[in-house]
Amino acid sequence: MSRELTNGRIAGGVAVALAAGAVVALTVTSETVLSLLTQATIFAIFALGVGILLRQNGMVSFGHAAFYGLGGYVVAILLERQLMSAETALVTAFFGIALFAFLIGFVVVRVPGIAFGMLTLALGQMFYQVASRSRNLTGGADGINIPWPDTLFGLDISLLTRQDAMFYFAWSGLVLSIGIVAALMASRFGATTEAIRDNEERARFIGIQTLLPRVLIFTLSGTVTALAGLMSAFQTAFVSPESMHWSVSGTALMMVIIGGYRYLWGPALGAIVFFMSRDLVGDFAQHWLAIFGVALIVVIVFAPQGISGALARLFRRKAVVPQATPAVIHKLKERT
Amino acid sequence: MLSINIFNGLVYGALLVVMSSGLALIYGLRRVVNFAHGSLYMLGAYLGYTVASHTNFWVAQVAVPLLMGLLGLALDRFAFRPLQDRDPLTVILVTFGLLLVLEDLVQTVWGKSNLSVPAPELLSASVDLFGMSVPAYRIAVIFFGLVVAGALTLWLRYSKMGLFVRAASTEPTITSMQGVNVDRLSGLVVAVGTALAGLAGIIAAPFLSLSPSMSSDVIIDSFVVVVTGGLGSLSGAFAAALLLGQVQAVGAVYLPEFATVLPYVLMMAVLLWRPAGFAGNRV
Repeated sequence: MSRELTNGRIAGGVAVALAAGAVVALTVTSETVLSLLTQATIFAIFALGVGILLRQNGMVSFGHAAFYGLGGYVVAILLERQLMSAETALVTAFFGIALFAFLIGFVVVRVPGIAFGMLTLALGQMFYQVASRSRNLTGGADGINIPWPDTLFGLDISLLTRQDAMFYFAWSGLVLSIGIVAALMASRFGATTEAIRDNEERARFIGIQTLLPRVLIFTLSGTVTALAGLMSAFQTAFVSPESMHWSVSGTALMMVIIGGYRYLWGPALGAIVFFMSRDLVGDFAQHWLAIFGVALIVVIVFAPQGISGALARLFRRKAVVPQATPAVIHKLKERT
Repeated sequence: MLSINIFNGLVYGALLVVMSSGLALIYGLRRVVNFAHGSLYMLGAYLGYTVASHTNFWVAQVAVPLLMGLLGLALDRFAFRPLQDRDPLTVILVTFGLLLVLEDLVQTVWGKSNLSVPAPELLSASVDLFGMSVPAYRIAVIFFGLVVAGALTLWLRYSKMGLFVRAASTEPTITSMQGVNVDRLSGLVVAVGTALAGLAGIIAAPFLSLSPSMSSDVIIDSFVVVVTGGLGSLSGAFAAALLLGQVQAVGAVYLPEFATVLPYVLMMAVLLWRPAGFAGNRV
């Protein structure tokens, strides 16, 4: 491998991306464009969460919208019932969902390959059903308005909800998440999970405990997705069962595949491409999902590395991440 | 109250038998979990609506599975067969893309409002069954489920082609070495599986209303069925379909708040207990 991803390089990349975000926030004046960019960035965090799971565990989740929706719901319920301050609620929601992902991870990552996809779809829909039916807790199909207080972390809420501030807030969240995940993946932990992904049996033979690292990747993936949910709750001050619907999980998955998941920034790029091109097709927007369905098929069949893979090849850089080897494919087939 | 629920559970279970046997067959030969199976079911229901409104229900019940069978042949020839050596995740994602296209197609052609297909005249009355008054059509649904389960079992157990299908689902390579054209056989099986999705659609049309959301409820229940029964196992799917119908029906009486969640709990419990489902993965 010609280029090592060191912590120094990651920190440099984060600094450049943060500066680029600041330039966008300062130069773009249109509120609509900024709001669209914020949405795209929030979904980029969501896609990053789904992408980590696919990249490090080789698992496709069709139910991650549950984590996304949970972010909003936990904060909304805590604030609506005035159980704690908004600051504590945000922290509680974040770590609470991380703990939940950890616990449920022990159950779901044991389920092999294809059945994992089906199980996550079912679990995700379970959350959707519960959210749309229990009117007392979640407000049913109407959703909940989130009563944010006037000040948050000592800052005035009107300052935080300005479109440019909101965009920069989401963008920093995205960039820092990618940075933290990249550092984790460049560490021993990242190498361990790749070994397990490529051949769990051999990893076990050389003395690696294989369940816990996979659970931790699932936890990381769920937590990053929950962060996107929290940001969305902050941007819209509203959460509804629709945010947990399977089509939301499917949309995030499409972003991951179209962006390509071998590079951590691939899913994020996929999300941004998704939002920008949806805006461009205009009149065809109602057929948007079908257009993206076709795009998904074309990418997965003819260019499985996605846009990020194609860009990386264009600039003739060697992949920093080991490619999915025949061993992975063999293992996936074996597990089914 | 309980007995009418058990009866309705049986009706829904019979529908799931038709739905999930198609899913299990396709998985058995192509090792493909068809995420578009629910959309094919929905397409079958809407096609049935159009055919039935121009002719009648019985014509639709024959024509729709035939049309869907042709679609299944195309699906195998242009998707599953060229992709058979690719990573299973690729094929899942392709069927997911297909799902998005089909959902949009149905909404574009038939619109978003709910449609309904009247039950055929012969079956539109209510019948007395053990002291309950039940629509005759629902009894017919149970009958359709039995016919499909019986016909598939006979076909797989006692015909030469059924033998080939069973052989190919356990050992595709060795079966093709014995001179069976596994690709053509798989094409046929995918056609039968797709036709069954269409048949389930037209069977469901008179008692569940047609709407763009009809696919997601049924596909998830069918997944629960095939995972619980063992991916690719037909008898496992039959048993799990009936079990799921009863779990939902009885759950609605005793645990009304949890009724919608019960199938998922069932699925998780089975996956934890036996990750390959309770019948393993033999046809």
